[in-house]
Amino acid sequence: MVNNPIAYLFSCIFVLGAHIAMLANVMLSDGSGGSFVLLAAGVIGLDLVCFTVMPFFRQQSYTIDFMLILVLNMSVIMQSCFGGVGFAVKHWITCIVALGACRVGYLLCRDHKWLEMQKKYYYIGIGVLMLITVLFTGSRSMWINLGENTSIQPSEFIKPLFVLACATSVTEQQKRHRILGFNVVYDNLALFGLTAAICLMQWWCRDLGSLPTFVGIYAAGFLLRICYPKTKFSKKSLVGAGLALALAAVLAVFFAPEYVRERIFSDIWSDTSGNGYQQSKALIAIAEGGWFGKGPTNGFLHEVFAHENDIVFATICEEWGLLFALMTVLALIMMVAVPLISPPRSYFHATMSACVCAAFTVQMALNIFGSCNMIPFTGVTIPFISSGGSSMLVSGLMIGMLSACQSPVFRDPEPFRFNAEAPKRRRRA
Amino acid sequence: MKSIRRCQFLISLFIVLFIAGMAALVIKIHREAKFYMTHSGTMSLGRVYDRHGDVLYTGTDDDGSSYPDNYFIDVGSLIGDDSGQMENTLVARNTDKLNNYSFTAGLVREGGKAAIYTTLDHEANRKVYDAFGSQKGCAVAYNYKTGELLVCTSLPNIDVTKGYDDIANFESGTLISKVMYGTVPGSTQKVSTVITALEIMGADRLFAKRYTCEGHYTNKTGGVIDCHNIYGHGEQDIQQALENSCNPFFAQLVADSDMPLNKIKKIYGKLGYAINGEEMEYFDIDGIQCERASTTLEDTDDFRTQWGCIGQGDTLVSPMQLMMWQSAVANGTGRMTMPHLIAKVTDVYGDVCERGHTEFSEQLFTDDNAACVRQMMLTNGANHYSELIPGYSLGVKSGTAQVDEGAKENSLLVGFVDDEDFPIAFCILIEDKDSGSVKTDQIAKTLLDALSE
Repeated sequence: MVNNPIAYLFSCIFVLGAHIAMLANVMLSDGSGGSFVLLAAGVIGLDLVCFTVMPFFRQQSYTIDFMLILVLNMSVIMQSCFGGVGFAVKHWITCIVALGACRVGYLLCRDHKWLEMQKKYYYIGIGVLMLITVLFTGSRSMWINLGENTSIQPSEFIKPLFVLACATSVTEQQKRHRILGFNVVYDNLALFGLTAAICLMQWWCRDLGSLPTFVGIYAAGFLLRICYPKTKFSKKSLVGAGLALALAAVLAVFFAPEYVRERIFSDIWSDTSGNGYQQSKALIAIAEGGWFGKGPTNGFLHEVFAHENDIVFATICEEWGLLFALMTVLALIMMVAVPLISPPRSYFHATMSACVCAAFTVQMALNIFGSCNMIPFTGVTIPFISSGGSSMLVSGLMIGMLSACQSPVFRDPEPFRFNAEAPKRRRRA
Repeated sequence: MKSIRRCQFLISLFIVLFIAGMAALVIKIHREAKFYMTHSGTMSLGRVYDRHGDVLYTGTDDDGSSYPDNYFIDVGSLIGDDSGQMENTLVARNTDKLNNYSFTAGLVREGGKAAIYTTLDHEANRKVYDAFGSQKGCAVAYNYKTGELLVCTSLPNIDVTKGYDDIANFESGTLISKVMYGTVPGSTQKVSTVITALEIMGADRLFAKRYTCEGHYTNKTGGVIDCHNIYGHGEQDIQQALENSCNPFFAQLVADSDMPLNKIKKIYGKLGYAINGEEMEYFDIDGIQCERASTTLEDTDDFRTQWGCIGQGDTLVSPMQLMMWQSAVANGTGRMTMPHLIAKVTDVYGDVCERGHTEFSEQLFTDDNAACVRQMMLTNGANHYSELIPGYSLGVKSGTAQVDEGAKENSLLVGFVDDEDFPIAFCILIEDKDSGSVKTDQIAKTLLDALSE
């Protein structure tokens, strides 16, 4: 079932050992009550289930899967300790959802030729999700309230579809058409239009925080499109595109809505009870935590709104220390860096990997640098670390896509037909 | 394969950019963590010492009960505390340096060695404070070669260890160091006007000017400038006018056609005045904000402008800045020595992490003019203060400032000691000089004697 059982075994021991060490730390900090036992059982149980199930999916590499289970259960332990040990059941369940989504992403995205053929469905899917966002979310918001303190963010689900849309049609770059004196590629125009529509929707829904993530994905996809062999995209055009992007960023700052400008230009330390409340508390918590933290359950940041998602980096820093928080981020980075060690074998998968990497790094940067007052504060999450169902599911799906790039299948494309007859066997001559 | 490498390159780029951002974040957090902690509400402040190791502020873990009553009263509004009652004090502005915290050690509640060692001489400061008796005012002195503040006291003042329960009954000005805030400078302003005249017309032409004082001067617009000598000083040159502190002479000098308004404004601006309602700026003394001078210069024939150049009316200068101008004169360079209060700072482990150092301003006026003003003030000192403040070669200028619309008069004295081994510049202010018997020269003598011991 597994190519290298010894490596697989040692990987299991490493992940399990890391989680047991963290649990021991929690036990030393806050005793060993019933909640702790539940937490330990939840974490170790999920580890063991994953280790058992994973070999049934025949993969050429399990690196991403091990990294994923390592990070997910780390986040379960950390989320369960904010302000006291209490097994974060909801987060644990969303982690299982993320693992499931990862499997789905993996299974769907292995065959790049099949994925190329589904291009129109990505556009349709994104369109439908945008329509749902505009029609069914609250007034200029991104969330659909499902009641019982549960809500869903349909725009999150656009991300994986958008990654796929960016990764498709790369080969179309060689087919240029002359329109109004310009050499254009129809697919690039379509993708640009899609990106613009998403940006407009984000603007309308007052969720400019996610905008850089989409722009990051598009930038990665666009760059790899124009760098596709024989596309003859001039360097001048490349520089022009870069300058246009920079100009757009400057204009965006100038013409940003008032609430965004307030965040960009406000001094958080002169408004610690208003706009700067979360960031100032986050930075104080990081300072109090120092390199090694106050110890799990001993922080104060859990009293601050969105401590478990928007400012989760600071909450981890406070309780576990900056060093540990950096290691957690490093684990996430290593996950998206896997394509550097084990290169994808098709340009489609490589583009998809780059887009997923762009989405993850931009999202992490927005969350971490925003909560630490290096850039304007946004409400985006750190994949797998922040709590949140939609984010977990989508992140799991996207990491599954990355995992699929490591174990691709190559088949000849077959036209998709409804009620297609079974292919007739050829008779030997 | 080459195309796949492009994708890998792009992935690397994203990761490298992110890691670079993280590195910048770690550096930022490490550098600013002390500042963040000042907003945490949980601090463990260390002590503040004078130049001889005498305690000026006791820190968080000591309520000061072991010190004699009013032990800290001469430095209360300068050194301050972390209560939030006084914002413009050394402690309030430097809690990050004084906090027993490091990113590695965290907040050390007991045994931390974070401290600020100041340049102040507590004993001399106390003697100067006591010399004021029941009168109010302030005194400041520093080494004009190094910029070390040695004496800086203000009355009334507060012993911060006694707390603020009786704050409703505090006298006005108790919670500020008057050294840092603008006051009407009186005739000490004439030093600035002399410097301006020298810069505009040069020493030869200025010393050639003669104006007559008849006890008052009526300017072209009908404004009357009175002299303190109602019988008049007769015809004088600039040296005599400075020594006599003759208002009509200086009013005529300002109105002279050789003193165009735009040039006066330019030189005053260079000296650091905010002119005609310009935005008031501050200069920084180890975090403590000190007000810059301000005045009105609209028309050299107008009473308001002439009155301002004499040091009355709208003109405001902090005693600190009056003293700093003395350093530019005393040094003979036209550059002010910037004062500093912190000699060194130690961190939570007791290691020195910051040291005070000497800084100079840009050149405000030429070396020659500095030497000229210096000689004029030394002559004034030798002629009028050698008996009052014996034992020192002094360059001085006194001033009387009308305040509360002329109802009260403040007395000022600015000057410097012309001694390479004892380079002290000072400024003394006694408010409502007629309310007591103490004179500025007495305070100056106490100050210099205390510092020379």
